[in-house]
Amino acid sequence: MSKKPTAGAKIGEKSHAWYYIQPVLAVLVTIVMIFPLYWMIATSLKSAEEVQLIVPTLYPHSIHLENYISVLTRANFLKYYWNTIVMTVGILVLQVGTGTLAAYGFSFGEFRGREVLFYVVLGALMIPLQVTFIPIYIMCANWNLNDTFLGLILPEAVSAYYIFMMRNTFLSIDRSYIDAGRIDGLGRLGTIIHVLVPMSKASIFTVTLVTFSNGWNAYFWPKIIARNEVRRVLTVGLAQLKQTFAGQAVANYHEIMAGAVLAIMPLVILFIVFQKYMMTGYSKAAMK
Amino acid sequence: MKKILAIMLAISMIFTLAACSGSTGSSSSAPAAEAPAADAPAAEAPAEAADASMYEVTEPITIKWWHALEEQYSPLVKEVVDDFNASQDLITVEAEYIGAYADINEALVSANAVGKDLPAVVVANTDYVAQYGSSGLYENLDPYIAATGYDVSDFSAGLLVSAQYDGKQVSLPFLHSTQVIYYNKTMADENGIEIPEQWDYDSFRTFVEEGAKACGGYGTVVPGWDQWYFETLFLNEGVDIITDDNTCDLDSEAAIGVTNYIKSMCDDGIAYLAYGTGASDNMRQNFYDQKAFSVLHTSSLYNTYVTKCPDFEVGMLWYPSASNGDHYSEVGGCVVGIPSKNDQATKNAAWQFLQYLCGKEVNMKWAEGTGYLPTRNSVLTTEEGVAFLEQKPAFQCIFDNLNLINPRIQSDAWSELATTWKDYMNRMINDGADVESASADMVEEINEILEDHA
Amino acid sequence: MAETNLEAAAPEQKKPFFTARRKAKIVDFLMVVPALILLAVFTYYPICKLFQISLTDWNLLNDTWNFVGIKNWNWLFAGSGAKYMWNSIKVTILYTLGELAITMVGGMLFALLFNRMTRMFSAMRAIIFVPKYVAMSSAAMVFLVILNGNYGIFNYLLGLIGIQGVDWLNTKSTALFAVLMCTGWRVVGYGMMIYLSAMMGISKDYYEAASLDGATGRQQFFKITLPMLSPTTLFLLVTTFLSAMKVFQSVDVLTSGGPSRSTEVFVYLIYRYAMEDFRMDRAATCAVMFFLLLLIITVSTMKVSNNSVNYDA
Repeated sequence: MSKKPTAGAKIGEKSHAWYYIQPVLAVLVTIVMIFPLYWMIATSLKSAEEVQLIVPTLYPHSIHLENYISVLTRANFLKYYWNTIVMTVGILVLQVGTGTLAAYGFSFGEFRGREVLFYVVLGALMIPLQVTFIPIYIMCANWNLNDTFLGLILPEAVSAYYIFMMRNTFLSIDRSYIDAGRIDGLGRLGTIIHVLVPMSKASIFTVTLVTFSNGWNAYFWPKIIARNEVRRVLTVGLAQLKQTFAGQAVANYHEIMAGAVLAIMPLVILFIVFQKYMMTGYSKAAMK
Repeated sequence: MKKILAIMLAISMIFTLAACSGSTGSSSSAPAAEAPAADAPAAEAPAEAADASMYEVTEPITIKWWHALEEQYSPLVKEVVDDFNASQDLITVEAEYIGAYADINEALVSANAVGKDLPAVVVANTDYVAQYGSSGLYENLDPYIAATGYDVSDFSAGLLVSAQYDGKQVSLPFLHSTQVIYYNKTMADENGIEIPEQWDYDSFRTFVEEGAKACGGYGTVVPGWDQWYFETLFLNEGVDIITDDNTCDLDSEAAIGVTNYIKSMCDDGIAYLAYGTGASDNMRQNFYDQKAFSVLHTSSLYNTYVTKCPDFEVGMLWYPSASNGDHYSEVGGCVVGIPSKNDQATKNAAWQFLQYLCGKEVNMKWAEGTGYLPTRNSVLTTEEGVAFLEQKPAFQCIFDNLNLINPRIQSDAWSELATTWKDYMNRMINDGADVESASADMVEEINEILEDHA
Repeated sequence: MAETNLEAAAPEQKKPFFTARRKAKIVDFLMVVPALILLAVFTYYPICKLFQISLTDWNLLNDTWNFVGIKNWNWLFAGSGAKYMWNSIKVTILYTLGELAITMVGGMLFALLFNRMTRMFSAMRAIIFVPKYVAMSSAAMVFLVILNGNYGIFNYLLGLIGIQGVDWLNTKSTALFAVLMCTGWRVVGYGMMIYLSAMMGISKDYYEAASLDGATGRQQFFKITLPMLSPTTLFLLVTTFLSAMKVFQSVDVLTSGGPSRSTEVFVYLIYRYAMEDFRMDRAATCAVMFFLLLLIITVSTMKVSNNSVNYDA
C-alpha cells in the first residue's frame, strides 16, 4: 500500500503508528472544530424548553422552524441584510477601484516620490480605524453622514492592504506585456482592464473575496456610525438581540441562534461555492 | 520585506508629525464641540409670549420617538403609536427601539453633540434628568405647559419632581417603577417561611437563608449590572453617596457596613451579585427555574415574571428597613422629553405626542399591560386605583408605600460615578477584594470624577 | 539617465509645459491620488487631530473645548487613568500573545495533522477553515450559549469527565481565556492554511538530500521545514499581531470588558471613554497612546526578526 503524498513536513515518515493515528486524530479535531457551527444550527431549531435543559440534548428532539420566522419578523433582519449588502458592495467597489488604480500607479507609474508615497500607504496599515475613530466620527457627523451608507463606506473606501497586495501581483507580471499593451494603443485603463486584470485574475479574485468577507463581518465602525435601526448592519443587529431577546431569559437563545445562522448563511454559502479560491486566497497573500 | 516595513514605519512617523504641525493651526474650525446649538436659544427666546399658537402644529410632519422598551413590550408600543397616528392628521410618529437606557444615552449624547439626527421625543432613565437638564439637552417644557395650559397637577408629586431639573420641568413622567423583591410565594408557603410586617436587614437575611434552604439554590439575587438595585440599601442607612461638599461617602462606616452585609450573604452562598454577561437573563432564568427563591428587581417586570412562572405564585415585597427604620425606595423607569436642538416645528409636534404619551389613558394601558405604575393621582387615590389593585393584588405593597418613593440623586457626574461603583462592588463581592481598602480607592476615584464635573 | 538625455535633446525655448512625458507622469500620479486623498482624510488627518484633542478638555456631554496642556497625559500616567491603562496594556498583550500562539503554534500543528492530500483530508481542511468566514458576532453568540455557566454544554461535558466547570465568561481568571477560545476557533484554520501552502512550496529536493544524509523526520522538520517557513512565520506574526492588538468585537459581545476589567483590551478602553463616558479628551489620549504602542512593538518586532528570518525560500 503506497502512502498518500503529504505536504512539506515529513514527521513520522518512518513511523507506521502515525499513519493510522493521524486520520483518527484529524477526525476528532474536525469534530471539535465543527461543533460550534453544529451547535448554532441545532440550538436554532430547538424549543425554548429544550434549550435550558440541565442535561443538554445533542440534537433537537423536535424541529422548530418558527424560530427563524420569529427572528425575521420581530427583529428587522431583512433590513440588516440590505444594509450589510449595500455597505459591503460599496466598500468592495471603492477598495477595488482605488486600490487597483493606485497599485498600477505604484508599480508602473513614473512620477517623483513614488517610493515615498508608497511608504505613506503602507504606514496606514499601522493606523487602524480603532485608533482614529473619534475624529472620523465627528467629521462624519459634521458632514451629515451618521446613519447613512456613505458614512458606513467612506472611511473604509481605501485599503492599504489591498494596494500592497495588488502591487505585488502586478509587479510579478512581466513588464513586456504592459509595453505591448501600450504599443497596441491601450491607455492605462485599457492596459489594466485588458492586460493586467486577465493576467492576475486569480489573485484579484481572492484578494477581493477577502475584502468582501472583511466588509461583511465589520463591526466596530458600523456600531459607532450607524446606531440607528435604519442603517444597522447584521453583525451589530445580531449583538443587539442579546438585549432585546435574551434580556428576559436564557431560554430565548434558540431565537438568537436562528439569527446567528441567518447572519452567516450568505458567507458560508459563498465559501462552499468558491471554496478553492477562498482557502487559497489568504495563503496566496502570504506568499507574496 | 523587513526593510520595507522598517522604512514604512519611519516614513509614516515623519508624515504624521508633518501633517500634525499643519493641522493644529486650523484648530478652531474643526471640532463640532465648538459650535454649540446656535439655534437652541433662538427657540426659547420669545418664551414670555405665552401664546398657544406658537406651539401649534400647522403642517404634516413625521417625528421619531426613541424608546428602550424591550421586545416584550412591542405590541403595546405599536398600539399606542398607531392610535396616536390615527387620532390626528398632521403628525406621524415613528417609534424606534434603540437599546437599554445606557444605549439610548450614548446615542442621544452623541447625536446631540453634533446636533443632527436627533429624535423628536426620547425617553431617559430617571438618573439622566440632571445630566440632560444641566447641559440643556432637554428642552425646558415650562413655556409649553404654560402656553397650552397642560395640567400637570394630576401627576403624583414625587414623580413630577423627578422629571425636573433645577426647578424646571425638562421632562414629563412616563413609565415608572420602583425597586421590589420578587419571591416564590408558593415555595414560601410550603416551607413556612414568614415575612414579618416590618422587616429589617436581619430579618431579610433570615428570609434569604430559609429561602436558600427551601429551593436548594440561592435565597436571593442582587443585581450588580445596575447600581440602582442596591443603592437604596445604602441611602436608607444614611449614606449620601454625594455629600453636600461634593465628595463621595461610600467609604463611610455605614456604607462599608452595607457592602459587608451583601458580601456576607454572597460569601455564605445564599445569595449572589449578578454581574457581567447575561447577568440579567441568568438571574431571571434562575428565578423561573426555582433555583433562586427571590430576586431584587424592578416592579415594571411584574407581568413578565407572572407569565414566565406559571407553576408558582409570584409575590412582591418592599425592601427591608434600614437600622434607623427608613425604608424609602427610589423611582425607576423613565421620563420622556424633547431634545432642544430640534427645530421648532418638530418640537411642537413632539409636544403634542408627549402630552398624549403621558396622558392618563395611555398610562393606564401600560399599568395594566406591564408592571409600570400608574403615574396619576386620579388613578392612585380613587376607585380606579381600587380596581387596579383588584387586578394586581401584589401591587398592594407599592400602593402602601407610594409616598416613600424618592426621586433619584441628580448629578451630571452620576453615570460616571455609577460605572465606577458597579465595577468596585463586583470586585469587593465577587473577586474578594478587601472592602475597606477597595472602598477607599473607589472614593478617591469618584471624588476625582465629581471634581471634574463641579 | 534616459530622462536627462531626452530633456537635453528638446529645444529649450519652444518646450511646452506639458510635454508628452510630463503629461504621462502627471497621469501616472493621478492614478494614486484618489487613494492618497482618502488616506490623508481618513487616516493621517485624524491621527493628528487626536494629538490635538488629547491636549483639550473636550467632554461631549457639556461640549467644552479648552486647551489644558498635558493634563490628560498627566492623568494617564500619574493620575487615576494609569492603572486602567496598564491593565488594558496587560490584557491586550496577553490576548495578542494568545492569538499569536493559536495562529502560529496551533496553525503549525494543524498543518502537520491535516497535511495529507486525500479527498477526505481536503474536506476536513475546509471544515477547519470555514470559521474564518463566520461573522465574529455569530461566533461570539454561539460561544455565549456553549459557555453559559448554567446551561452551557461545555460545562456539562466537563462534568461528564468529572471536572467542575465555572461560569467561564463571568469569572475573572477565565474570561480572557474564554474570549481566546472563541477567536482561536476562528483563526486556527487560517494559520493552518498559510503554513500548509508554504510547506507545499518547499522543494522536495531538500528532503531527499536530507534523507540521503540519514536525517530523521524530526531533524528534517527542525532543520528544513521550520527555517524555510520563517518568512511565512514573520508574515503571520506581523499580520496577526496587527489584527489581534485591535480586537474589539469578541470582547464587546462576549464580556463587555468585564468582569472587573479583566478583558478590557485597549480598543475597548478607548471606546468606553469615548462612547460611554463621552470623555473625548481622555479617549483621544488613550488612542494616541495606543498608536505609539503599536508603533513601538511593530518596530521592535522588525528589529528582532531582522536576523532570524530565512529569505532563501
